[in-house]
Amino acid sequence: MEFKKLPPVKDQLMKCVRCGKCRSVCPVFAEVGIETTAPRGHVFMVQMLRDGKVEPTNEVYERLGQCLLCETCSVNCPSGIDVHELNAAARSYIYENNPSAGKELLFDTLWTRPGMLRSSARVMSTVQKLGLQTLARKTGLTKILPGDLKEAEQMMDNIPSKSARSSLSEINPALGKKKYTVGYFLGCGTDLFNPSVATATVDVLTRNGCEVIIPKDMKCCGLPHIANGKMETAQKLAAHNIKVFKAYDLDYIVTDCASCSSALSRKNMEFLFAGLKIEDEALALSEKVMDLTVFLINVLDIRLPEDKTAPKIRVTYHDPCHLANAQLIKNQPREVLRRIPGVELVEMKAANTCCGGSGTYSTTHYEMSMKILDKKMDNAMATGAEIVATCCPSCMMQLNYGCKRNNWDIEVLHPVELLSRYYRNN
Amino acid sequence: METSKLKQELVKLLGKDKVLTEDLDLMYYSYDSSFLTKLEPSQPNAVVFPKSTEDVQKVVEFAYANQINIVPRGAGTGETGGCIAVQGGIVLDLSTWNEIIEIDVKNMQVIVSPGVIHAELNNELAKHNLFFPPDPGSSMMCTVGGMVANNASGLRAVKYWATEPYILGLEVVMPNGDVIITGGMKARCIKNVSGINLTKLMVGSEGILGVVTRIRLRCFPKPKARGIAMAVFDNLDDAPEAVMDVYQAGILPSGIEILDSSAIKAVNDFKPEIKLPDAEAILLFEVDGNPPSVEYEGQVIREVTGQRARSVEWATEPKRMAELWEGRSVTAAASARVRPDGSRIFAGEDISVPISRVADTLRALRDLADQHGIQIVNYGHIGDGNVHTAPVINPEIPEEVEKVIKFVDEVHLLAIEMNGSTTGEHGVGAVRRPYAELEHGKAVEYMRKIKAAFDPAGIMNPGKVF
Ligand SMILES: Cc1cc2nc3c(=O)[nH]c(=O)nc-3n(C[C@H](O)[C@H](O)[C@H](O)COP(=O)(O)OP(=O)(O)OC[C@H]3O[C@@H](n4cnc5c(N)ncnc54)[C@H](O)[C@@H]3O)c2cc1C
Ligand code: SF4
Ligand code: SF4
Repeated sequence: MEFKKLPPVKDQLMKCVRCGKCRSVCPVFAEVGIETTAPRGHVFMVQMLRDGKVEPTNEVYERLGQCLLCETCSVNCPSGIDVHELNAAARSYIYENNPSAGKELLFDTLWTRPGMLRSSARVMSTVQKLGLQTLARKTGLTKILPGDLKEAEQMMDNIPSKSARSSLSEINPALGKKKYTVGYFLGCGTDLFNPSVATATVDVLTRNGCEVIIPKDMKCCGLPHIANGKMETAQKLAAHNIKVFKAYDLDYIVTDCASCSSALSRKNMEFLFAGLKIEDEALALSEKVMDLTVFLINVLDIRLPEDKTAPKIRVTYHDPCHLANAQLIKNQPREVLRRIPGVELVEMKAANTCCGGSGTYSTTHYEMSMKILDKKMDNAMATGAEIVATCCPSCMMQLNYGCKRNNWDIEVLHPVELLSRYYRNN
Repeated sequence: METSKLKQELVKLLGKDKVLTEDLDLMYYSYDSSFLTKLEPSQPNAVVFPKSTEDVQKVVEFAYANQINIVPRGAGTGETGGCIAVQGGIVLDLSTWNEIIEIDVKNMQVIVSPGVIHAELNNELAKHNLFFPPDPGSSMMCTVGGMVANNASGLRAVKYWATEPYILGLEVVMPNGDVIITGGMKARCIKNVSGINLTKLMVGSEGILGVVTRIRLRCFPKPKARGIAMAVFDNLDDAPEAVMDVYQAGILPSGIEILDSSAIKAVNDFKPEIKLPDAEAILLFEVDGNPPSVEYEGQVIREVTGQRARSVEWATEPKRMAELWEGRSVTAAASARVRPDGSRIFAGEDISVPISRVADTLRALRDLADQHGIQIVNYGHIGDGNVHTAPVINPEIPEEVEKVIKFVDEVHLLAIEMNGSTTGEHGVGAVRRPYAELEHGKAVEYMRKIKAAFDPAGIMNPGKVF
């Protein structure tokens, strides 16, 4: 497919009225203030690229690269433009035509796969944020990832030595009367970087009458492969996971990773398997997938006894872009926190502004990334919170780094960890 | 002047962080929100980011000495190409100079640099129970400097009017580099009729008379209560009539907005949770003040509009009010939603007509749109006769562009024919210049004389207004 004919490029570019609403929400623009970093500016530049007014040069790539792919502009655009997808597609198009650009990224064929653009852009942002190198190495993806990214790795100096999987059983029986059988899609980020989140998830679910199954043979959700154009591998992985999960009689499949939930979404399944025999099974799987906090509130409707003696603890919540912007999930994580006795939820200013992305973004735009992070930390610190809660492995890593930079000695936790802690203490 | 030389000189004056001269960067300054600049972007020779009066003065003096055009720019949300260097020159991007210099609570005024964003200013003022009432739909993104230059107004102009009455004084860098203060060098007063009113002259002059570098503006106490009435009409003609009825009943709402059926669809597509009812037209009345008066005025509006409307909803609950009002404020850009392969364009979007002729105008606009085979969305500040027409076209199809250009021309002529104006609040810029003689006749000569007296070298934002 020609770049010009890629659906967002073809249909959305002309819809930009240059109203500038996106200027007012973009965390990068808030720091730089120059139109070259405004989401509206990115849309304009993609148009120039499409119209052949600029060439796919390193310079154009560099300007488009001033973006965290946090999707804030897209959710706020009144014309419905997926600015971040246009940006991701254009960058990958430039990379394909000019491999000397975009060294830090890899999605050379992303733009040629319109159906996958949304989730691929999301993975691309996670890659930017996490510095997926390390993840890749640990998951055996190194071959399809780009060259060395030392700086990114330096930031990830406190990766736990033991993965979650190594300490959790495959089958975790419900405590008390069983209500549901739940499959836990343990994403790589949680497994490798935040194993304690996984332990807490299993703890909370089992205490609430769920039998939790973590299929032993479960493999990577496949998003990085899709994004990197390894379609066959992605199909194989998905088919494998479908088979693995199908072997159990599950009521729901929960995950605490936004990228995983998008990989398992209906849209992606349709993309991978449209017309194939396995399609129905794939769709049936995607129907069962749910974000953990949504499951805790909407399905389990967890209730804890009123406890006036519970020690007071001030918690502030940071909205991960992939949850708040990509899936519009903002309330349930907060509701989980509110329901924990003793927790006083204090909103920080701009809770849903991106935390700045460390990893590869910060290797290419270190200063900018740190400015955005420091602003986030200022807002968090101003709440006087003792805990910053968030629902995304890469945000947790970034916020932890922010605490270290700012000598702020507090904990960064997933809401489920706090919940589990409460249960264990009572 | 050659680019490399220009760069060298500007960097010498301001430092390299405040100057852009690379071709690729300059491209980003070739547009604002106007349709014109989508069709014909024009890029400047340089962009600078002044952060003080001295910065501005240095650049203007340099430009004056070298006969280089100067184009002030705020957030670039203008819809007229006003901040675009249509004849080349140096763009002064003032949006990064965003300081609230002083909030003088006792004297109910605030002093700001030009780049402060309107919504951010009001957030700060709210901490002191104050507010700056004009409220353009672009509040979240436009600068106060841009509002001053365009004399912007907004949803609440019915009661609070435009930017102009709130401007107590300005600091202006004149086109030769002189710095003047209007409204009195040391003044902190509110009433002031001393001297020729240069403040009034500057407000709305669209950056062609000088660069505004400091703004002293008046604030009002923030009203304690608000209420919104939504009246739903099966017949479009009833809506303007209902507005008259409300005025006749002795009520001056803070805002009266109209959405026609296409605007309703656009809002519902964009934010289904707002749940606007399907109708020919919806009027939104906002009243504000103290709680009993808000209740009373709401009651009267309900009774009066109820005689023509299919239904009237009265909301004082903050969430519902915010939804209803948000529905209106996003209409501008959400209009694009009425046609999947189309885009709303900002052209012919701001005519203003006598209130008594709003109904005729809306009808005439529909006829014109039909004649040209163009889909339009009508909404606007009906309380003061300011109608926003949003043509929705596919701007990538040349025939549609050609058609819409003709349509827009006729819309502007219609406004003049209705004893109105081609622009109620967005300004003239490069877009509505051709109508100057028709609208103002001999007065344009005097405008030119004023311009020449202020800017004899003709370097200040040329190609705009007349
Ligand atoms: C979605 C949307 C909704 C809008 N709604 C409204 C509305 O309800 N009411 C309304 O009035 N307008 C509205 N506008 C138009 C626009 O936002 C206003 O005119 C606004 O005041 C422009 O501010 P800006 O900072 O973007 O200025 P720009 O567009 O950057 O500049 C506008 C003009 O001001 C001049 N200028 C800017 N700063 C200075 C300065 N410091 N000194 C001298 N000249 C200067 C420029 O040269 C130019 O001529 C809307 C626009 C959009 C996109
Ligand atoms: S908010 Fe949307 S329509 Fe407005 S300038 Fe940004 S991308 Fe364009
Ligand atoms: S995705 Fe985020 S960082 Fe990128 S342009 Fe949009 S708001 Fe800015």
